[in-house]
Amino acid sequence: MFSYLFILSSGLFLGWSLGANDGANIFGTAVGTKMLKFRTAAFIASIFVIIGAVTGGSYAAKTLNELGNVNAPTGAFMVCLAAALAVYWMTKSKISVSTSQAIIGAIIGWNIYSNKQTNIELLSKIIGTWIFCPVLAGLLAVTLYFLLRFIIKHGHFSLLQQDFYTRIGLILTGAFGAYALGANNIANIMGVFVSSNPLQPLSFTANLKLNPEQILFLLGGISIAIGIITYSEHTIQTVGRNIFLMSPLAAWVVVIAQSLVLFLFSSNALSDFMEKHNLLSIPPVPVSSSQAVIGAVIGIGLLKGGHGINWGLIGKIFIGWIITPLIAALLCFTSLFFLENVFNLIVYN
Amino acid sequence: MLHIKFPVISRTKALEDKIDIFHDMLIEAAITFRHSIKIFLNNDHSEYKKINKKIKNIENQADQLRRDIENDLYSQNLLPNLQADILQLIESLDKINNQIDDVIYKFYIEQPYIPTKFHFKLIELCDQVANCVENMAIASRAFFKNHNTVRDYSYKVYILEQESDQTYNDIKKAIFNSDMELANKLQLDLLTTEVADIADIAEDCADEILIFTLKRDI
Repeated sequence: MFSYLFILSSGLFLGWSLGANDGANIFGTAVGTKMLKFRTAAFIASIFVIIGAVTGGSYAAKTLNELGNVNAPTGAFMVCLAAALAVYWMTKSKISVSTSQAIIGAIIGWNIYSNKQTNIELLSKIIGTWIFCPVLAGLLAVTLYFLLRFIIKHGHFSLLQQDFYTRIGLILTGAFGAYALGANNIANIMGVFVSSNPLQPLSFTANLKLNPEQILFLLGGISIAIGIITYSEHTIQTVGRNIFLMSPLAAWVVVIAQSLVLFLFSSNALSDFMEKHNLLSIPPVPVSSSQAVIGAVIGIGLLKGGHGINWGLIGKIFIGWIITPLIAALLCFTSLFFLENVFNLIVYN
Repeated sequence: MLHIKFPVISRTKALEDKIDIFHDMLIEAAITFRHSIKIFLNNDHSEYKKINKKIKNIENQADQLRRDIENDLYSQNLLPNLQADILQLIESLDKINNQIDDVIYKFYIEQPYIPTKFHFKLIELCDQVANCVENMAIASRAFFKNHNTVRDYSYKVYILEQESDQTYNDIKKAIFNSDMELANKLQLDLLTTEVADIADIAEDCADEILIFTLKRDI
């Protein structure tokens, strides 16, 4: 059991850093503008991120396993560690980074090393989501922005009523955002461990049973929650300034747009519906909440005339989207080579 | 029927009521000011004494309300992103109350000599100033209740302030062209300036409120 926990440690570490960074996307505005206390926000986010991970995480994880069925625990450990190191290095270099892209790069690195065929059709769909995700978030943000302006203009709310509804809205959206983050991003940190999972089903009561995959996601969800509780306040204070330039309501729109995008990319039902009706197929795939936020902010920025948008920064972000999976793949490939040839460990079956 | 009281909602309602009463007091101060000059010019000393007392009461109550509003905003952490703006606005509005109180008191203490030929213009000036303050109070109430109309009332404040400036200049010229003693001229000029200052403070409040309304927009 302990040796397996060690194997999982890279995923749990990735989960912690995901919670520390992406927790700020969900509740950063609410806490930063003092609309909510950090303790309240962290408590709600922790509960819902775990619920999202356990109840809705399997679809995105399935997609990742279709891309690369990492069937050896040591291999899964290395895939996650490579992704975590890529994320760490990119963050250090102050380049916007996506855990989702890092893990996909690392899986491809494993595929190449283990001579497994990469599903090119699926890969191109996933890469498509990297562009589609921020675009969709931007479109949603613009629509929601118009809708909210209309409601405020014609709703005749007093300032204090508006304040009250904004707080309620921030709590509900934060809870939804945390759920969507758990459901969508749990695949990033635990998806690669699913194939080699040795855990047994767990029964709490007759009705409350967790299958091995859900136990894995529960552990991952807890690690994200710990990241939110222990470090996201620091992230809010240090990197949240860009968001605070917006009004709490505009920032709220950004959070809703981001949460909806994450939810859409976690929903198997929606994916089936789109495919059935020959619409644009959205595979349930882990996407980056930060990229969704960036898309939503750009959407609102363009709506306001595009004056405040830092295009240089956006260029840097695009470069990050290309470099992150490449670095993760390279790191994974090299590390697998060392694990297999220097330490004689089985990294694939 | 089931009544459930949410503490947050009742606290918010209590603060809304306080802000409403604060605006009511500003309007009451403006109306009192409008009457005060007519009573003064009629030489009704006992009635003017009552007016002076009344405006002092309004000013004291408004001060207390201002403190309560500030305290509620901070202690209950309401409107955190607009707290500083609201405090600034409430304090600026309170300055109008203070200035009205000051002017009425000065007339009461100094008992300036005002020749009859200035009466009409002085009443006109006080009327414009009182209208200006009333519209400022309505603009401020709109900021809290329905910000779509803030611009309309603020614009009225600007127009009335310009009119009061014109009237003030006319009075000033007339004072110094008159054959009064220089001391009387200076005293009357100073008091008229203080009356016109009320509209100037209201105009400053209108400037602030328009910026705060822009900040309120999403």
